[in-house]
Amino acid sequence: MSVTPARVPPEERLVNLVVALMATEQGVTKDTILGSVSGYREQVESGSRREALEKMFERDKENLRGLGVPIETIGDYADPDDLREARYRIPPTEYELPADITFTPAELAVLTLAGGVWGEHTLSAGARSGLRKIRSLGIDVDEPIIGFAPRLDLHDASFLPLQRAIEQAREVEFDYLRPGSDRPRRRRVRPFALVEFEARWHLFGWDTGVEAERTFLLSRVLSDVVVTRQGFDESLRVGAGERALSGLRDVALRQNATVTAVPGTEAELRLRRRARAEATNGRQVEIPFVDLEVFADELASYGPEVMVLEPRALQDAVMRRLRAARDRSAESA
Amino acid sequence: MSGQPVVATDRAALILQLVPYLIAQGEVTVAQAARDFDVEPRQMRAMVEKLTVIGLPGEGGFWQMANDLFDIDWDLLDREDRIVITNAVGLERSPRLTAREAAALLAGLQLAAAVPGVGDSGVVQGLLSKLSRGAGQTPADVIVAPAPVDDVRETVARALREGVAVTFTYTAPDAHPTTRTVDPVKVTISAGQWYLQGWCHMRRAMRTFHLDRVTEPAVTSIAALHSSEPVPELFEPGDDEVVAEIRYPAHAASAVGEFLANAQVHEEGGFRRAFIRVADPRSLKRLVARSGGDVEIVAPPEARRAAHDWAQAALDQYR
Repeated sequence: MSVTPARVPPEERLVNLVVALMATEQGVTKDTILGSVSGYREQVESGSRREALEKMFERDKENLRGLGVPIETIGDYADPDDLREARYRIPPTEYELPADITFTPAELAVLTLAGGVWGEHTLSAGARSGLRKIRSLGIDVDEPIIGFAPRLDLHDASFLPLQRAIEQAREVEFDYLRPGSDRPRRRRVRPFALVEFEARWHLFGWDTGVEAERTFLLSRVLSDVVVTRQGFDESLRVGAGERALSGLRDVALRQNATVTAVPGTEAELRLRRRARAEATNGRQVEIPFVDLEVFADELASYGPEVMVLEPRALQDAVMRRLRAARDRSAESA
Repeated sequence: MSGQPVVATDRAALILQLVPYLIAQGEVTVAQAARDFDVEPRQMRAMVEKLTVIGLPGEGGFWQMANDLFDIDWDLLDREDRIVITNAVGLERSPRLTAREAAALLAGLQLAAAVPGVGDSGVVQGLLSKLSRGAGQTPADVIVAPAPVDDVRETVARALREGVAVTFTYTAPDAHPTTRTVDPVKVTISAGQWYLQGWCHMRRAMRTFHLDRVTEPAVTSIAALHSSEPVPELFEPGDDEVVAEIRYPAHAASAVGEFLANAQVHEEGGFRRAFIRVADPRSLKRLVARSGGDVEIVAPPEARRAAHDWAQAALDQYR
């Protein structure tokens, strides 16, 4: 047998702890753990201070819970706050992927496609490790879906902190520039869902300032997102994604632009695809839009290929951009 | 969080995944396992070796018995670089997905649903509910609104599936329409935009086509012969392109977006100066107008003039 090293690396201690806590039905006390699980045991024997070991055990539990490992604490029935005699265990049914969840080869092929969308993004690590867990259920791999590469494009730095805050159901704060205003305002929001609509990411949540659900464009979040310690009831999130989506669709239904587009140009090609079919009349095209400023950016890029007739506010926004672009490009760099 | 280095926790998470993976594989090479876990072969070997000192607690002060520890076939590992678990003491089934893993896959699924033949198969709906159930925590709602799939997308998808060339009319910005025949290789769907990469019979090279600029698509009976040629990165500039110099405030970086692939960017106190590659620098007029003048073309001068004239011509319509 190999000689046990003087110091067991922390990852071995953590895995030993998981194995030990899953192997017990009644649970084991802290004393038993410290005296028997490799990683603690050696330190007890080499005379480490009890207090330091207990701290280490608390930290390990916290780190494992952070990985999603469900460690149960069974307290003293007479006095639930007294943890001296508490026993710890990991119920296998809570730890493992539920036994009745299985995946077909076709599902695995779609999941593989889904796992690839993050490209070089940090979330790709999560997607890959999730896929690994599922593949380890021992499924034959289906023919991969070749030729398609859906990609998520995340220019917005606020995406990741917002996603974490939604998971943890914690309120966030950030500076938000409302369209049409020239100065950002601090917002405090209960974040419910992230929604990509018309190629842009939106945050949907409860704006505590106005006491109502609101949708925010991530590209208008100008500051870092601060995740506060203030939590909220997770059940508020239920169905939020669908609510956000239908809200955005309603806005698109209500808002309509009328433009003329020069035939055969980039503008005509791109805009006609999105036009309301029932309302095209020669060069004139009617297009639904969600955000006036975002749509004005696009329309300005088409230059003389497009002329905005209605609404007036959209025409103004486009002309403002064109004037600024012209002046910025005047003679002498 | 705690003072313990995160890396140790991450390594523990890998070991918890490694055991069910190895059991499912039966036997696997070190190289393959390393690829599947995104680590170096040497790290995979160390992880597997480490596994053999992990196991059930020792009773009453005794060291653990061999049966209480994980074990592997050492001979097979030493001689053939292959891994087999010969004794497992738990961890046989995969852990639940973490909220983060589930969220990453759920969002990916919403996007994958846009691929023809995937969204309408019912597979995605089933997976959404399985993944939510397989996660220990409630993952964040990350939703991608599905874009309508039209005739162009359907036709390109069919050509890809059948391994034949597709023909269409392509109208690039500021160019006359051309008829192209293309061996389709890959369709990238990014930020709601669809790009087809394929071998263009006219240019005799790999080209990228924005599907919004495609009209009159048709599947041909010509077998796609160049589909296995390497596909360049989506926005990788070709050799024949010109360098342009632009300047913009830092907050406008996302507007410059795809132009910044492989660009040289310098910070200048709140501003950025970028040297970007474009086929025709005059085409930057669209970017300048879109940014409402945030983006300034420094060079070449004819591109700057083009941007000025573009905006002026647009404004003239409203007089």
